[in-house]
Amino acid sequence: MTLLVWTLLAPLLTAALGAVRASRKVEEVVIVGGLSLTFVLCLATASQFLAGDVPSAFNDALRVDGLSALVLVLCGFVGLLSASYGIGYIRRNDARGLVTPGLRQEFSVLTPLYVFAMLLVSVSNNLGILWIAVELTTLASVFLVAYHNRDTSLEAAWKFLMLGSLGLGFALLGTVLLFASAQGALGEDLPALHWTQFMAHATELHPFTLRLGVVFALIGYGTKAGLAPMHTWKPDAYREAPSPAGVMMAVGMLNAALYCLLRVHLISKAALGPDFSGGLLLTLGLLSVLVAMPFILIQWNLKRLLAYSSIEHVGIMAVGIGLGGEAAVLGALLHMTYHTFAKPIAFFSAGTLAQLHRSSDFSEIGHGTLGRAPVASTLLLLATLFVTGSPPFSLFFSEMMILRAGFLGAHPVATAVFLVALVILFCGFAYQIGRLVFGEPPAAADRATPADRETLDLGVMVTLVAALVAVVSTFYLPGPLMALIRAAVSVVSGVS
Amino acid sequence: MTPNVVILCAAGMLVSAFLMVGQKSLFTTIRLYGAQSLLLATVAVIMAISDHRPHLFVMATMTTVLKGFVIPLFLMRVVDRIGIHREIEPFLNVPTSLLACLGLTVVGYRVSTGFPEGTVGVTHHVLGVGLSTLMIGLFLMVTRKKAISQVLALLTVENAIFLVALGITSGMPLVVELGIFFDVILAVVVLGVLVRRIVDRFESMDVSRLSKLKG
Repeated sequence: MTLLVWTLLAPLLTAALGAVRASRKVEEVVIVGGLSLTFVLCLATASQFLAGDVPSAFNDALRVDGLSALVLVLCGFVGLLSASYGIGYIRRNDARGLVTPGLRQEFSVLTPLYVFAMLLVSVSNNLGILWIAVELTTLASVFLVAYHNRDTSLEAAWKFLMLGSLGLGFALLGTVLLFASAQGALGEDLPALHWTQFMAHATELHPFTLRLGVVFALIGYGTKAGLAPMHTWKPDAYREAPSPAGVMMAVGMLNAALYCLLRVHLISKAALGPDFSGGLLLTLGLLSVLVAMPFILIQWNLKRLLAYSSIEHVGIMAVGIGLGGEAAVLGALLHMTYHTFAKPIAFFSAGTLAQLHRSSDFSEIGHGTLGRAPVASTLLLLATLFVTGSPPFSLFFSEMMILRAGFLGAHPVATAVFLVALVILFCGFAYQIGRLVFGEPPAAADRATPADRETLDLGVMVTLVAALVAVVSTFYLPGPLMALIRAAVSVVSGVS
Repeated sequence: MTPNVVILCAAGMLVSAFLMVGQKSLFTTIRLYGAQSLLLATVAVIMAISDHRPHLFVMATMTTVLKGFVIPLFLMRVVDRIGIHREIEPFLNVPTSLLACLGLTVVGYRVSTGFPEGTVGVTHHVLGVGLSTLMIGLFLMVTRKKAISQVLALLTVENAIFLVALGITSGMPLVVELGIFFDVILAVVVLGVLVRRIVDRFESMDVSRLSKLKG
């Protein structure tokens, strides 16, 4: 069996082992060990690609090109990071007697399963398998959203599943129509749905059917990515999901869904020219940034604030891709990479604050967290600098790249609107976090029980590691990673 | 003869979708969904014979067994355990809903003429019906309050997509179809579990009560 197959089997086996009831220690070792192995295998697959090989399996149904390799590595990284934080998260809840063995088991099965589905998405060369894998990510994450089994978690899980399924219905219809647009030119067996086949026969596709298919597929996968106006599940799901699962949705799933959008976009670009799907992505991206704006300004909940920030960032990436051209695409893919490194700090530190105060509502946490939880608050401030795109941090550079390409390209007006929205979002987000961290603490701030005091536990340690990775990546991206980004850019902008 | 039977079955699917719109009893709606799936399977069987596509037999068998019987029986059991049998008051009343769906059918037929296969003969009707049923399913999803009704609407949408796939491509590659079936079954089970959790918590499966999260 090839390396690629093992890369996918590793998280699957981890999930199977996670289903065995064992002591907490054993479960922790299994999940972190399994996902570390997965990450190493992802790296090995990517380096196999960089060595000039094209790792593939099952008659090219799974195939790793530059784009796949980049998303694969990023998803593997996020999986390992959030599982490690997840252990700290569960330990904290355990200390308060909130964890049953069943809940622990649920976490150690669903997390690797979710990672498996994301990795499968990122190496799918077949549009059918891609769809199946995205549906798997949805099903694996529903019960992570419903994890705490509160009224609101069930509401969020229900909305998440209904909207997600509806989006996937659209994506399925889009896939059917894309398949139909080939009018039998690609045959009827599995390879007929291979992305590489579509690209090779792009000029033979029937335009009307293809257009309709592209619209449905972009809306469908856009729902999973959380592009406005299909974003409404996101704030609810992020608020209710435990923070480790939130990170996997906000970073891993976002990258995987963006991967789907890119694949569809590339078929459309090769067959219909860059303007059709590019224009659609630009519009949806801009709309996402604009929609996030008012909700960030009036936000009442820390995790929902992060959700709207995630809608903003997927919007920024969609704008970058929609603008087209090598510079904008490089900006978008760099943004994806930097965002993958930066967002976990925000989720982990926010998760720590929410756990200490047993709620993520601003009113429950109370202002002036700096005094009560100095480490988590400082990390949250650092995360704020990252996700708002402040100089000199990484996301500032990728945003500048997209803006520059936008002003020099064909859409200066849209870029100007985009820039204004980004500035307002920056102020809004910084205002909310500033108020939370520095504000006047409430009178009853000392009510905390010993379990609610901040300690340097595993969760905080993992957050520190994430912060270290993000800061280092700002100034230094390792050569192989940069090579992967370049390879991904050439996949996306090479075919014009 | 065969084209007429295909058209008849496809039309039957559209009729079943309309009946769902006019129906408040959950059991009847579930049975209608089962009947609709059986009609879809019949279309697949006839196409398998007339176009000599043996892999459609597999799809037809799966549709009959899973969507014709297993899923409806599973949903009936869920409804039975919950003990709520009727959609109380949809967001739109029945006559208005039926009129709206009539309009959607016209739109569905109009869109189907844009396809290269969609202007004449059997495929015209199959595509027209498929797209209309799809939109009626979407309509049901936004107007129904009961969780089970929304699940059924989702399944109707999914049936309609399969009909469109049959009309326009004579079915997807077999591996993909099997994968989709697997996912649908899994989704129904997940939905069933979630509905029961919601009922346990809220003592109702009225999803309009799920309205705490805003902003």
